[in-house]
Amino acid sequence: MFEPAIIVHGGAGTHPSEWKKREPYLAGVKDATLQGHAKLARGGSALDAVEAAVIALENNPLFNTGHGSVLNLKGNVEMDAIVIDGRTLSSGAVCGVRGCPNPVRVARLVMEKTNHCLLTGEGAQDFMESQGILPVPDSQLIVPGMRLAWEKAVLTDKASSLPAASQRTASDLPPGCDTVGAVAMDAHGNVAAATSTGGTTAKLPGRVGDSPIIGAGAYADSSVGAISTTGDGESIMKVCLARRTAELLETGVPAQESAARALRFMHEKVGGEAGVIVLAKDGNRCHVARHFISTTMPWVAVNNGCITWGIDQGQEESASLE
Amino acid sequence: MLCDNAFEGRVWGGAVIKIITMFRPTIIVHGGARQFTPDTRDLVQEGVKAAARQGYAELTKGGSAMDAVVAAVSAMEDNTVFNAGHGSRLNLKGQVEADAIVIDGRNLGSGAVCGLQGCSNPVQLARLVMEKTNHCLLTADGAREFMESQGIAAVPSSELVTERARIELEQHVKFSSAVENLVAPRSAPPPSSSCDTVGAVAMDANGNLAAATSTGGITAKLPGRVGDSPIIGSGAYADNTVGAVSTTGCGESIMKVCLARRVGELLEKGKTAQEAAEHALEFMSGRVGGAAGVIVLSQYGNAGACEVGHHFITENMAWAAIDEGQLRWGVDPGQEMNEII
Repeated sequence: MFEPAIIVHGGAGTHPSEWKKREPYLAGVKDATLQGHAKLARGGSALDAVEAAVIALENNPLFNTGHGSVLNLKGNVEMDAIVIDGRTLSSGAVCGVRGCPNPVRVARLVMEKTNHCLLTGEGAQDFMESQGILPVPDSQLIVPGMRLAWEKAVLTDKASSLPAASQRTASDLPPGCDTVGAVAMDAHGNVAAATSTGGTTAKLPGRVGDSPIIGAGAYADSSVGAISTTGDGESIMKVCLARRTAELLETGVPAQESAARALRFMHEKVGGEAGVIVLAKDGNRCHVARHFISTTMPWVAVNNGCITWGIDQGQEESASLE
Repeated sequence: MLCDNAFEGRVWGGAVIKIITMFRPTIIVHGGARQFTPDTRDLVQEGVKAAARQGYAELTKGGSAMDAVVAAVSAMEDNTVFNAGHGSRLNLKGQVEADAIVIDGRNLGSGAVCGLQGCSNPVQLARLVMEKTNHCLLTADGAREFMESQGIAAVPSSELVTERARIELEQHVKFSSAVENLVAPRSAPPPSSSCDTVGAVAMDANGNLAAATSTGGITAKLPGRVGDSPIIGSGAYADNTVGAVSTTGCGESIMKVCLARRVGELLEKGKTAQEAAEHALEFMSGRVGGAAGVIVLSQYGNAGACEVGHHFITENMAWAAIDEGQLRWGVDPGQEMNEII
């Protein structure tokens, strides 16, 4: 028997410095984590847990995923998401999908109902409908804050498709403008990862970032551990950040150091900011860790009867789970 | 590592010595890993040899590794015998949806497209994604709009669809509906259905590496299905300090293990190009099943030459390589023909 654990992130970026404005992000990630943990406590799989956690964040309009996604250059919502089952390395993902309230759910259906790992565009939407999920209009997914950010980006030529992504500073991004993700281990010792995003404000229509890519936005292997990433998507893709973190775990490097070294490599090689959450297997337990080189990254973990969380660099608060 | 010219500075005991390093331009291409039928075998062999020659011609006239891989892959996209560009396999709706990628080993710059319709040369569009946008991957309608914004008109489906591809789709649909009555719906596709792709990796006269991969995907794929080909770390990988890789075969298996990146990891651990190709495929086959093929160039060595490796665990893989004035090629396991060029 394994002691289940979960860690969830709500995006690497620059969150508001006032506690009043940043507290809802942490609260949202905490709620998602507890929802995921509840699945584990009831004997659910790691896959059930990460899916539940990410769905909670997709439904939360504060986060750049599902409801609350950023807008592309045309003012539309296009989403990417992935799930990976560490037991078999099976995966399902969607990219450039529109009208989808819960992309991570569709990603899981891709894994379970097709022979494929990734569906895009209209094909992804047709598949979604074939599974009985009705598309929703963009108006149901767009929140005022993200529309404002889009208007600002388009009107002031700060569209992410124009200047070099690596030259963007964190202050160019709307607050909390990023991807969400979760990794977990269940009572059978299996791990899973899930990541979901609306992408970047004013991205070129059709732009796909790291999130739906095995080895970039997520990675999971029950013999090693599970990873979800967030941040500058192009930088993450170029170095296969999630796979790189796993490579370090495979050589015995501890979870925290694996995340830190992988991020340092990325930053030195191709620039950009990002964050990583890691769950590393260790006998019948696991270690959960996180590292980020952005200003902030809200994260919450449940492991060993304890809930821990943070948003700033070096911050780690904890409480007993009861 | 940036190698803009053939000079390299090294520090020996405090002194800086400039060494003129001559790099040996090299290219290896593949035209898919699958069981080739007798009627296509010769055409495929001639096709990879011609593509390798075209890529090598770029290198010898001073072109970059990127120019070479794009030229080689474009040649195979234009050749209807290959599953890329003209001659691509069709999705369940009878459409061509293309995936392609280029990666520049100098700075890990990359451009890719997926689920793209109406494009004759997806690899060239992938290069434009890398050079003209801040993004690495564009999909579907967005990719098509970008293509048109670059002055490339979409071509009608009829121009990309071949009779062979159409017949293969019909056969697959007939086979699947027959099989569905007997076994569970998710049984393996018939042997005539191809999981192959084309690709190339090259090193230029400055020691820079590049990789490119392009595909129409698999016959009767679900519309919108994206395989390994446009994915950094799966369909391709390139890093001047490591090597360059292009993969082909069962896309889902390749994706699950990040096959191209795995070859890169093995190169970083000191394996030769050939060893890295073999071990990575062995891992994939053992862990997730499926079959594939890989072409690899290592980083250059002391003599300015890189190692060339190729391996496949499918019945066949069409490949051709050129360096040092020699063209080598093969289709069967262990086969290597050569001629002086």
